Amino acid sequence: LPAGLSQWFPALEVLDVSGTGLAEMGTELLSLPSLHTLLAKNNRLGGPGSLPKGLGQAPLARSLRVLNLSGNRFSEVPPALLRLRGLRSLSLGGNRLHSIPPDIQELQSLEFLYLGGNFITAIPPELAKLPSLRYLVLCDNKIQSIPPQLAQLHSLRSLSLHNNLLTYLPREILNLVHLEELSLRGNPLVVRFVRDLTYNPPSLQELAGRTVKARNIPYAPSDLPESLVRYLSLASNCPNPKCGGVYFDSCVRQIKFVDFCGKYRLPLMHYLCSPECSSPFSSASQSSTSQSESDSEDEASVAAHRMQKVLLG
Amino acid sequence: FRYTRNLVDNGNGKFNLMILCWGEGHGSSIHDHTDSHCFMKILQGNLKETLFEWPEKKGNGEMTKKSERVLRENQCAYINDSIGLHRVENISHTESAVSLHLYSPPFNACNTFDQRTGHKHKVTMTFYSQFGERTVCVSMRRDAP
Repeated sequence: LPAGLSQWFPALEVLDVSGTGLAEMGTELLSLPSLHTLLAKNNRLGGPGSLPKGLGQAPLARSLRVLNLSGNRFSEVPPALLRLRGLRSLSLGGNRLHSIPPDIQELQSLEFLYLGGNFITAIPPELAKLPSLRYLVLCDNKIQSIPPQLAQLHSLRSLSLHNNLLTYLPREILNLVHLEELSLRGNPLVVRFVRDLTYNPPSLQELAGRTVKARNIPYAPSDLPESLVRYLSLASNCPNPKCGGVYFDSCVRQIKFVDFCGKYRLPLMHYLCSPECSSPFSSASQSSTSQSESDSEDEASVAAHRMQKVLLG
Repeated sequence: FRYTRNLVDNGNGKFNLMILCWGEGHGSSIHDHTDSHCFMKILQGNLKETLFEWPEKKGNGEMTKKSERVLRENQCAYINDSIGLHRVENISHTESAVSLHLYSPPFNACNTFDQRTGHKHKVTMTFYSQFGERTVCVSMRRDAP
């Protein structure tokens, strides 16, 4: 970047240095108080010094709204970037990222996040702590699973997951009520699930923990060693609405296929507290449906109907 | 949040001429062309076209890819139902793309296909804008290729 940039153009709001072969952006950026859009795609950024030191303290940290660093050589999200607290739109498409840092949750104003075309293998649950996120693009990566916490992204309108390595989705995905678009093509979604017949019985500690929780036995930190108090706080509720039980480490994984009127069958992963617990969702193609399952089936078919409108082919 | 279809001219009912705007990563589903001619010209950026065979009548398996190519700026392509089905996508993560489409006769519904199973599903096509004016959505119907 030319020295003296901020002296010549102190009121600069939009700076586009895309396709200029830039390998680093220096301190000239730090004295641009009105800059809200910075486009630097298709350059040679990615090494140390790509972003100037002191970025977190500069006026830029609060004024920058749009940052496009797509088509560069970033192999990790530069930590300095996470200090741009006013950022609304971030693109790191077409770089060399292998992961998303959990501190991404610092970008609390983020509405648009484009991470397509990288080598990302997993999504940190902290990504779900972005309350304004509306548009999330994760296509063309190597993602193997979606954390169920992602369903907490209440503002999410569009989720792009095509061309990844997903074999199933968490059932919580059905909770994204404001989702309008979802792309899943090019993933090896399972079409058939063979239930794992081996079931490791729960430990005595787990059985005791389940009973404490199920019977609402009162306890205080003075009654139990700290490790057990912490253990009890990690109880997960069994999704079977008729069960009301909890589980700790011992659970059964089960994939249920939610049918969208015979057009698409999405494999959704459930964790149940025991093999005897029936799943909340049953596939429409199963012939006999008991009375007890009918309530949860209605819930599933409403969610399925909504998702059908949202699925992009 | 997905590509937009913007009607430019409806040729006295004889054709539809429209401009499609594709953001980074945007792609269409696999679709047919309801017995019409379809011409496409790339005005900006690049679009990848993947051709597919029609699925078997009772087919229940992965659809067969016939060929794929990347269309560059100013290149043209043509398709109709006797040639096959296709998916069009902007595979760039850095550039958007713009294409000009001519459909004759005009049609407002077509079939989309699930690549994994060959199942087809009829959809109604909607416009993001017509003659420069934003078209407000009336229903929540899933819009088209």
